Amino acid sequence: MKIILSMLAAFSLAGAAHAADISIALTDDRVEVDADFSGAAVTLFGAVTGAENPAATLDIIAIVTGPPGNFSVRPLEKRGLIWLPGKPAMIENAPRFYASTATQPIQEIAPLPDQAKFELGVDNIRAVDLYADTDSEHPFNAAFLDALESRGQYMDRVGGVSFIKGALFTVDLELPANTPVGDYDIAVYLYRDGMLIDHDSAALKVNKVGLERRIFDLAHRRPVLYGLLCVAVSLLAGWIAGLAFRKS
Amino acid sequence: MQIYLPIAEISVDPFVIVTLGAAVGFLSGMFGVGGGFLMTPLLIFYGVPPAVAVGTEASQIVASSVSGVLAHLRRKTVDLLMGGFLIAGGGVGAVIGIAIFRYFREIGQIELFISIAYVVFLGAIGALMLMESMRALLRDPGVKRSRRKHRSAEWMAAMPFAMRFRRSGLYISPIPPMVLGFIAGVLAAIMGVGGGFIMVPAMLYILNMPTNVVVGTSLFQIIFVTAIATVLHAAANQTVDILLALLLLSGGVIGAQLGAKVGRRLRGEQLRALLALIVLAVCARLFFGLALPPEALFVVDPAP
Repeated sequence: MKIILSMLAAFSLAGAAHAADISIALTDDRVEVDADFSGAAVTLFGAVTGAENPAATLDIIAIVTGPPGNFSVRPLEKRGLIWLPGKPAMIENAPRFYASTATQPIQEIAPLPDQAKFELGVDNIRAVDLYADTDSEHPFNAAFLDALESRGQYMDRVGGVSFIKGALFTVDLELPANTPVGDYDIAVYLYRDGMLIDHDSAALKVNKVGLERRIFDLAHRRPVLYGLLCVAVSLLAGWIAGLAFRKS
Repeated sequence: MQIYLPIAEISVDPFVIVTLGAAVGFLSGMFGVGGGFLMTPLLIFYGVPPAVAVGTEASQIVASSVSGVLAHLRRKTVDLLMGGFLIAGGGVGAVIGIAIFRYFREIGQIELFISIAYVVFLGAIGALMLMESMRALLRDPGVKRSRRKHRSAEWMAAMPFAMRFRRSGLYISPIPPMVLGFIAGVLAAIMGVGGGFIMVPAMLYILNMPTNVVVGTSLFQIIFVTAIATVLHAAANQTVDILLALLLLSGGVIGAQLGAKVGRRLRGEQLRALLALIVLAVCARLFFGLALPPEALFVVDPAP
């Protein structure tokens, strides 16, 4: 809350700017994924200065972009009795998470060149534009987007932006249980009548913590030791279980 | 409530996993089998990545075999020398199995490979078990069965390095047990099974080992071979989820005790017919998963 209050104070001083400005801050700039992580809600606070009645005249688009990753997309082909995955197409450096939240459908807020430039909306993620030269509606692109949307890792959402007190607004961002860990980028764009007025960005870290993180780190950094530990734990657990039932 | 599995990297309902462990434990207690060949496909159906299901199941089998092995060691129904040769073969088999597993993982076809391996093995074993138990059930109970003769396996004694296996009362070459162990090791590594369902009949009918040492020796071998497979999976593929294994195990031990109690009340043939039907049902589910038109015509996977 401190941040918001200080922002409020700052903005009320900067009264007479011509164009509106936007500033954002996160309630929490890190999300911790532990053993009972079932998703997280992150609230983004923002303030618009230099605009009258912002709730009625301005549109806001917030974009959350996760860490990049590579993906393979393989078509399934029927060979004899069964369906086999065929030759893969690679999608490189696509965000492993992408969510847009806006006051209206993005098409009604931002002009096409802006949508492409700022990657506004799932359909405008550049890395996914396989075969960009030939056909933008390529089935591999659509299949990739469908798959990530059905996993809840890509989404476009209208709503979730609420103006609370004149210049202040909040954006509710939902991170699902399968949110990939890594560095996230949050960008917020302010539009009025199809014109970009201002934008701001913030960073968010999604980290594994606790026992869960120790297990993951050990398994990846000292895999042989981890394997031996797994065997030791299994032997011990099996032995204890055997003892417990022999006595009863 | 949801628990996030660190290696599988998915959130699961721990209650469902413990129940799954208990259900498979119940069946394995009832039928006297390890249950890996049921658990691995069920984990895949639940959404655990197939590679993690296989690696984790190997470690769970280690745990679920410990108390059985200790009981058999106390009763001296383990042929340690035979077990040693089975393990020697099994260790080599596990290394080869992991290499095969890794190859299919790298070309991105591990899921398909595991499914096909399961369809083939479950189909063949389920069908054989069903035929055998049906024959036994339909047989006139008045007619006495001719007892299997304890033939000395001459062809195995004729092979090099023949030696005496005192507890099994056999004089054979260690090569056949090592080959058997090798096959079990490959299966343990690529399918996440102990291989008891192949080893027990093979030890009975091929090696001609006496019934009283077969189960103990098989468990003894399984515990070492799955332990080797666990370490290799962890080292080569990072696919052993210890949290998942412990959840499965906690349900499994309880289920196994209950299953063993129920199993004592049923006839052997009935039990085997029932197990055969369960095996065939899992096989059919996997097969239709491969053969029915898929929901999505594309597979999207993370790539390195």
